[in-house]
Amino acid sequence: MPGLDAIRDAVRKFLRLSGPYERAVEEFIRDLQRALLSADVNVRLVFDLTRRIRERALKEKPPPGASRRDWFLKIVYEELVKLFGGDREPEVKPPYTPYVIMLVGVQGSGKTTTAAKLALFYKRMGYKVGLVAADVYRPGAYDQLRQLAERIGVMFYGEPGSRDAVGIATRGVKELKERGANIVIVDTAGRHGYGSEVALLEEMKRMSEAIKPDEVMLVIDAAMGQKSFDLAKRFHEATPIGSIIVTKMDGTAKGGGALSAVAATGAIIKFIGTGEDVEEFEVFNPRRFVSRLLGMGDIEGILERI
Amino acid sequence: QKAAEKATTKTISEKDVDEFLQDLLMELIESDVAFETAEKLVEELRKRLVGLQVPRGADTRKILEGKVHEALVELLKTGWRHIDLVSEAKEKCRRGEPLVIVFLGVNGVGKTTTIAKFAYMFKKAGLTPVIAAADTFRAGAQEQLRLHAERVGAVFVGGRYGADPASVAYDAIQMAKSRGYCVVLVDTAGRMHTDIDLMEELRKIVRVAKPDYKVLVVDALTGNDAVEQAKFFDEAVGVDFVVLTKFDADAKGGTAISVVDAIKKPILFLGVGQRYEDLEPMEPEKLVAKLLS
Ligand SMILES: Nc1nc2c(ncn2[C@@H]2O[C@H](COP(=O)(O)OP(=O)(O)OP(=O)(O)O)[C@@H](O)[C@H]2O)c(=O)[nH]1
Ligand SMILES: Nc1nc2c(ncn2[C@@H]2O[C@H](COP(=O)(O)OP(=O)(O)OP(=O)(O)O)[C@@H](O)[C@H]2O)c(=O)[nH]1
Ligand SMILES: [Mg+2]
Ligand SMILES: [Mg+2]
Repeated sequence: MPGLDAIRDAVRKFLRLSGPYERAVEEFIRDLQRALLSADVNVRLVFDLTRRIRERALKEKPPPGASRRDWFLKIVYEELVKLFGGDREPEVKPPYTPYVIMLVGVQGSGKTTTAAKLALFYKRMGYKVGLVAADVYRPGAYDQLRQLAERIGVMFYGEPGSRDAVGIATRGVKELKERGANIVIVDTAGRHGYGSEVALLEEMKRMSEAIKPDEVMLVIDAAMGQKSFDLAKRFHEATPIGSIIVTKMDGTAKGGGALSAVAATGAIIKFIGTGEDVEEFEVFNPRRFVSRLLGMGDIEGILERI
Repeated sequence: QKAAEKATTKTISEKDVDEFLQDLLMELIESDVAFETAEKLVEELRKRLVGLQVPRGADTRKILEGKVHEALVELLKTGWRHIDLVSEAKEKCRRGEPLVIVFLGVNGVGKTTTIAKFAYMFKKAGLTPVIAAADTFRAGAQEQLRLHAERVGAVFVGGRYGADPASVAYDAIQMAKSRGYCVVLVDTAGRMHTDIDLMEELRKIVRVAKPDYKVLVVDALTGNDAVEQAKFFDEAVGVDFVVLTKFDADAKGGTAISVVDAIKKPILFLGVGQRYEDLEPMEPEKLVAKLLS
């Protein structure tokens, strides 16, 4: 199976391959492109990335003592990490309270489940958390979030049967704050916003204008392909995206589409979902992620040497 | 080759197709054809195109494009047919058996909604389907399907959360048999194809329900992973046909190519929205025209 693991193989091959440096670089770049495209990274991003890597590889001089090949791998690592928005773990602690988070995303991406995971995450950090069910379209959406809120023991607001998503969100945020919540998470309906769904993007915009969330989080399925870029851009244009959560990382999908979302919004990835259970949720770690794709042993050692 | 023919035709060379195929590869990848699938298709096309005789002075690119269109349509027609589930259900019903359809797929692709759309389709044709809510796991799954069933006028058979999904399917089928309903639609919980325990649970549901059709539901926005999803489910329980959902999300349609190429099973329907009417038969010509536009 091709994919990000292939980068690891490419690194091994690159370190082994004899012959001229330039040829090894070209060959590695081809392998890297294949691996990234197989992992759903946006076509344009892939070519921009590999162009930068090639330029730096042929222009920059390795520091004394370092081999050219080690140096090249460091460049690859740096450029990949840049795509993730830097190699530090994201800050997930809200800068102040009360703090309102609004979750948005395409149908079925995992917003409702993630709302509960986030709530549990912050509850364990000691916050008082409340969930608002503002999806008035999907049948059973209210019950789904209410059941999850009960399971994890956080406050809940919803209006079963209502069709007024903006009204529910507004009243929900207000009431939960009054009840003492210092983090309020608003779950919204799934939407893609194309064609007949333009009105749904409008609704999202109105909701965000009404509740003025402190952070809008885009929830994106790890399996999403090339459309991720365009979709994330549309969402970002309607309501500026502050951060990204990648769900369903427990499957075989590599999550490269999330990189497109990062590029399209300028937002950073904060969390990943790794299962259906509310516990299966982690703070995103770009360094670990990239190190893993490039082959832990090789890259860690090299980074230390240089 | 006759001299007269040589004067009026030319042979397509490797060089003629190189750039064309390179562009095509990128176009396919941008349309969400999986990378491996796209590479394979392009190599197959190269074999087909090089050596082809075309009229001298003809627009070579147009001819090549025509050939690509043809090849993709041919692929999408693998096992494809106009399916008349209503007639099949009536036919089975005359023998005292309901038509049983089980829906499978990874999390959140649109299984439950697609079931509601199928139920609506049967209902419109005069058949009241029984819906088995064999997702006893995900929060809200029972309520979601119950509401859909009420809205389209289907008979709902549910189970308690945590109950054995296979027994829910079994109950629904028994009920359909005893009361003379002609269709049973079985919803299953979304599951990752890599989850061994959940795939075993799915096998059990299939063993118990003995469905006429096992329908794999795939999200049209899926990238390379569509190949993995299709292969795993097909190997684990066997897939009879595929429904590609969320096609209305400006999907380019490459996912369809990856899925059919991976398991050689047809895509028979497209989900094109969230309303019950938003289910269309997949038309290979139309899909390919959109893909290559
Ligand atoms: N395996 C796995 N499943 C997940 C993960 N996150 C969510 N899910 C599942 O994905 C499916 C869809 O999740 P929901 O939370 O309902 O998605 P949503 O975005 O709220 O859907 P809509 O409200 O219809 O737009 C459910 O089956 C969830 O259990 C994850 O990280 N891993
Ligand atoms: N735009 C659009 N949305 C769809 C389509 N099909 C399903 N959806 C939406 O996708 C979301 C998920 O659909 P579900 O039917 O709950 O998906 P599922 O596969 O049953 O999900 P799990 O049971 O959690 O695995 C819902 O918000 C549906 O309304 C479609 O063709 N177009
Ligand atoms: Mg939801
Ligand atoms: Mg479902």
